[in-house]
Amino acid sequence: MDADVRQMTWTELEALCTNLEKACSKQLRGEEAAAFAKLASFYGAKKEVKDNASIADLVALINADLSEGYARANKEAAAANDRGAKRALLWGEKSSKLLKSLLARYEKQGAALTENTGVFVCEICGFVYVGEAPPDICPICKVPSFKIHPVRKEAI
Amino acid sequence: MHAARNLRLCTKDCVCLFICPTGATNTENGQIDFEKCLDGCRLCVDACSSGAIYLVSSTYPKPQPKEEGVVKAIFDLARSKAEQEDVARSISEASDDAALRQICSVFEQSSRIIGEDLWRESGYIIAQSEATRTLLKTMIKEHGNLEGFPLEEVEELLSRLS
Ligand code: SF4
Ligand code: SF4
Repeated sequence: MDADVRQMTWTELEALCTNLEKACSKQLRGEEAAAFAKLASFYGAKKEVKDNASIADLVALINADLSEGYARANKEAAAANDRGAKRALLWGEKSSKLLKSLLARYEKQGAALTENTGVFVCEICGFVYVGEAPPDICPICKVPSFKIHPVRKEAI
Repeated sequence: MHAARNLRLCTKDCVCLFICPTGATNTENGQIDFEKCLDGCRLCVDACSSGAIYLVSSTYPKPQPKEEGVVKAIFDLARSKAEQEDVARSISEASDDAALRQICSVFEQSSRIIGEDLWRESGYIIAQSEATRTLLKTMIKEHGNLEGFPLEEVEELLSRLS
């Protein structure tokens, strides 16, 4: 079953292209990677801004993933004994739980949450960490910390 | 097949420099000259005590076929992750609160990484596949006439991936 380009949002198309860009980079296919990057930025430039978007919307979406989306996908992947899918779902579900808890903590503490500390994201699995320095090894995907990057606070 | 150097592991001992029959390992940019490499004779791979050289395949096996139910469920999650990226970006763009923008940026980046991984495991793990070729052809058909679509690059990409 193929992805249905006509039904996909610009952001989905962009993410599919950045995934393929990474796939080509891993094989040291620089020109192919560059072409996927160009396609990704074509779609990225079309992304729309949602009016009145709120943290509550994010909470609702991530809760739906955790209560339904991952449960359904895990069941399908287990029934098909699809190792690759099970692996991606395991990592993604763990990272999603951390994103949910990040939102909950931010809603409670506001700006104080990150006032004197850093926030980090693992470029491999999306693991999120609030603290001084990231762990030596990502607790979700086990990659060494050079793949875990700080996300800076930027004033406008 | 050709050799490639992991620049992070290379300790510049230069054993590979004199071992390579074509000089492919001796370059300005530190990477191996793929054009000069003799279809992966692997002399340098075996000689490097840092384990810094490996062989890159020119062809890959076909990805395993995926069950439709798995793919559908994964597509749904990937869509949700993309929507979350959109919401996080929209909150951020409407706000001048640096702390909120930082949280949204974390959310956006993490959602993208989770989303990409979902796409990987729904049949788009490598670019040299029927699924990717079909994708690119459909993109040309649906979006090829939109302003800014990189038509030449995508056509070139299709021929490289065939
Ligand atoms: S032999 Fe290995 S470590 Fe030494 S220069 Fe070559 S790639 Fe680098
Ligand atoms: S595989 Fe052989 S030809 Fe290629 S770079 Fe290594 S030694 Fe040189």
